Amino acid sequence: MLPSYYEFYNPVKIISGSKALDNIPYELELLNAKRPLVVTDKGVENAGLMKVFLDSFKNSGIEIGGIYSDVPPDSSNSVVKAIAKIYREKECDSIIAVGGGSPIDTAKGVNILVTENSNDLMEFEGADRLKKPLKPFIVVPTTAGTGSEATLVAVIYNEEKNVKMEFISGYLLPNLAVIDPRMTETMPPKITAATGMDALTHAVEAFTCLQKNPISDAYAFSAIKIISHNILNAVKNGKDQKARLNMANAATMAGIAFSNSMVGAVHALGHSAGAVAKVPHGVAMSVFLPHGLEYNLEKIKDSLGELLLALSGPEIFAATPKEKRALKFIEDLRRLQKQLFDEASLPMTLKDAGVTEDMLGTIATKAINDGALMMNPEEMSHEDAMKVLKKAF
Amino acid sequence: MSSIKSYKPGRKWFKTIVCKVVMVILGRAFQVFSRHDHEIKNEIAAWPEGFTLELNVLPFGPRLLILKEDGKIRTVGEIDEKPELSVNFKNIESAFLILTPLMGVPRGFAEHRFIVIGDVAKAMAFTRCLNRILAYLYPDFLCRNLMRRIPEINFMKRMSKRLYFYTIGIVTGS
Repeated sequence: MLPSYYEFYNPVKIISGSKALDNIPYELELLNAKRPLVVTDKGVENAGLMKVFLDSFKNSGIEIGGIYSDVPPDSSNSVVKAIAKIYREKECDSIIAVGGGSPIDTAKGVNILVTENSNDLMEFEGADRLKKPLKPFIVVPTTAGTGSEATLVAVIYNEEKNVKMEFISGYLLPNLAVIDPRMTETMPPKITAATGMDALTHAVEAFTCLQKNPISDAYAFSAIKIISHNILNAVKNGKDQKARLNMANAATMAGIAFSNSMVGAVHALGHSAGAVAKVPHGVAMSVFLPHGLEYNLEKIKDSLGELLLALSGPEIFAATPKEKRALKFIEDLRRLQKQLFDEASLPMTLKDAGVTEDMLGTIATKAINDGALMMNPEEMSHEDAMKVLKKAF
Repeated sequence: MSSIKSYKPGRKWFKTIVCKVVMVILGRAFQVFSRHDHEIKNEIAAWPEGFTLELNVLPFGPRLLILKEDGKIRTVGEIDEKPELSVNFKNIESAFLILTPLMGVPRGFAEHRFIVIGDVAKAMAFTRCLNRILAYLYPDFLCRNLMRRIPEINFMKRMSKRLYFYTIGIVTGS
């Protein structure tokens, strides 16, 4: 059913498949860019992915203006400023982010500063503060989970004020997302499982929360179908390029979905568990997803029931009575969780993820103040959050 | 000479006035219930002294400004600095929908009817305060359309506070 009003925006060109990286020089020319700055992190470099990336520029005539490979795990204000300085010194004209959420968000921050010719990100914090297109920006994701290559948000930590700054603007979306299976094939099984569950959560919450709309639904549904068919193969055999490519595509699709239909309680709880107990985001999503869905069940029965077709296939969907499909979805999700635990030791409980019982109260307090709760179909009080946390513990 | 005429759009005065009136009532209600409701008191206790919040309709207003002073909430006319938390309705139609109240805050946010600038945690606390204020102001059949769950407030307390607000609080603001 159509909502009474919705908005959908995704201008990102996506190129995906074998040797996709080798098309970047051509795409740069289309963007009228000749001297990109590359933003990445040590993890990408140590995994040998930069060599694959840089090889794709051989014979292209494009000169890379600079490579910054020291992005920390949490994007920060000072790093963004330092990279913007390098961009100016090296006279670059475009930015390529290679990596997961942190290099991508950092590059988005750099793009704001170099386009606006500013040194103060705070000026642009908040929603819709940017008023003009940014410099050409290309993203090469190396994890199949965050979907940052298709989102209009960047979160950057401000060390001076000890706050996380959030930037939301359509101009933050990259011009191009490059999905090349070679860039995700070195991910270890546990990270593959966690990032895959992150993408699955993006899609499930986009489909079931208050901002859902028919176009984001289409992306979310397809993403869930692809993830359910490929996540175990990608975990069991990292070199399976088909499974890797499918997972990376699903993550991008889920990113497009949740960029246009915001996530809910699972993310609110996950962000808070990450902030309080340093639970990795993908792990938190995997732990909280079934509990969050159970909590929302009365409000999302119909939409979650529809997703059983994507998660479990047509036979199971047809054999399950309509009123039992939502519960069956959660049951099959738990089965997948167990398989990922067996194959990759992906934690199933908060306790396994390193959370102690005395942290639950602080996590609950943070969760009810997280913006993601605004789009959750069910209201969540501190007491409700505690109940969910105790179940997940 | 070209027959193409330029067009200067007028203003929607009726809806602007209605929004202004509702904003004044909401501001008064926040001021009154922040003194009489324990939960609202607890929420605003976490806000720093001098904290400012605005509800604003883009681009011409009306605008409601709220200030925390001496631990209490009060509405103010103007302030020198940019408010710490801004809720900007994108246009007068969106503001009219939410303020009259034909649409709740979660639905309004889902439909991009307004944007929030500032600390999200404080915006979430403000939403919880607003739910309680609306529960005092309006009967259940209206509240059910405005929020996901009506706050649990004792029936007699709710009725007596509602009566107090519409007879005394709205005039005195305390």
